[in-house]
Amino acid sequence: MRDELKTALDKVTADDTLRQSTRAFLARQTGNFGAAKTRPRTAHRMAAAFACFALVVAGGTGWWAYFSPTCAISIDINPSVELGVNRFDRVVSVEGIGADGEALAETLAIRFLSYADALDALLADPTVEGYLAQDEVLSIAVAGDNEAQAGAILAQAESCAAGTRNVYCHAADSAEMEHAHEAGLSFGKYQAFAVLQSLDPSVTAEDAQGMTMREIHDRIAALDPEAALTLYGGGHGHGSGAGHGNSAGNGQGDGAGNGQGDGAGSGAATGTGSGQGSGAGAGNGAGGSSGSGTGAGSGHGHHSGH
Amino acid sequence: MRSEQEANEAIERYADTVRRICMIHLKNHADTEDIFQNVFLKYALSTAVFESEEHEKAWFIRVTINACRDLLKSFFRSRTVPLDTLLDQPADLTENDRTVFDAVLALPPKYRDVVYLHYYEGYTAPQIADMLRKNVNTVYTLLNRAKQALRQTLGGDDDA
Repeated sequence: MRDELKTALDKVTADDTLRQSTRAFLARQTGNFGAAKTRPRTAHRMAAAFACFALVVAGGTGWWAYFSPTCAISIDINPSVELGVNRFDRVVSVEGIGADGEALAETLAIRFLSYADALDALLADPTVEGYLAQDEVLSIAVAGDNEAQAGAILAQAESCAAGTRNVYCHAADSAEMEHAHEAGLSFGKYQAFAVLQSLDPSVTAEDAQGMTMREIHDRIAALDPEAALTLYGGGHGHGSGAGHGNSAGNGQGDGAGNGQGDGAGSGAATGTGSGQGSGAGAGNGAGGSSGSGTGAGSGHGHHSGH
Repeated sequence: MRSEQEANEAIERYADTVRRICMIHLKNHADTEDIFQNVFLKYALSTAVFESEEHEKAWFIRVTINACRDLLKSFFRSRTVPLDTLLDQPADLTENDRTVFDAVLALPPKYRDVVYLHYYEGYTAPQIADMLRKNVNTVYTLLNRAKQALRQTLGGDDDA
């Protein structure tokens, strides 16, 4: 049996056609055994790998650019809500601070809206309207490293708030924002708290957490009305005064005099001005001379602020 | 990757072996060509270092058997019947040779390998077991059953 099998199988051989086709196939598949085609193929693979990598990086950058806030808007009544605004002016995060803040943040469907729409929606929110109806104070604080964007948001916030009483808009900076978060406050509230604490050092951040913006405001106003006014608007004034004097001499000589007056006015919230004038006359001759001066000053100041 | 010369030498040396294994598993020329391409491409791309010619031959046998199995297992093949069945046998076969082939091909596939390796290539059962990754005793059993089956169809002496 072994021999029979051997005889039979010995006749089975690979013919030349098969060998040839196999050789041709190998040359084709291996690119002439690495001589020609492997390099372009490696280059193609590298290109493909690089394309994938670039795609991932681009996607990652896009994701990062969209979802990293560049500006923050802090909205404080008693519940405080902070909105993160990305570089495309979309609200990407809504974060409540404190229990009521979180509750309010959850009811607000403003994520991915533009900040203008978000602010409109927020001011129209029944909860917020309810607070405003109770004469609460709403503060909108804008902080961001990108000044152009922060300025634009602040301007938008002001225009949104224009028709509403008790809404104040102001700017903050990001360093303040960090301090505020360390204290467990939104930065709008933190600003008010900082003013209150400078007037009354016994107030702590914990106290402030429990206070509404109206309460903080009222306390500041009670302690120092000026500070309350400066909190939400830097007031400035200027005054100018002019005085003149004249002199008259009679007799044989003439006298002439002139007077100068200057006035300085200053105003923090209101402006006052005062002016003084003096005149001096000198005459010579037989007669005598007398001079008198009058001065008039006027000053005006104006207060600008929000 | 191996050089063209190495690959061509390997084709010269092992083409017949590969062809015979194909013969006992496959029935048409296209499949045989497939197996040739697969096996020698694998060799050309492989970096395996062979200690001896024996080692290299064993590698070829194992790779060819596995390639045949994979081909037969594939979904497409299990649902189709080749048109040129049995058209690929050598022309100069005698009546006796044909009987032998028919007997071997009538065996279940798992017996064919051991019959080929033992009777034609002259491997011992432990060597076959090593090559096919099977238990030695399994190989003995397969050999015995194959022997009995062949004796029934072919008659003749048991000269194993």
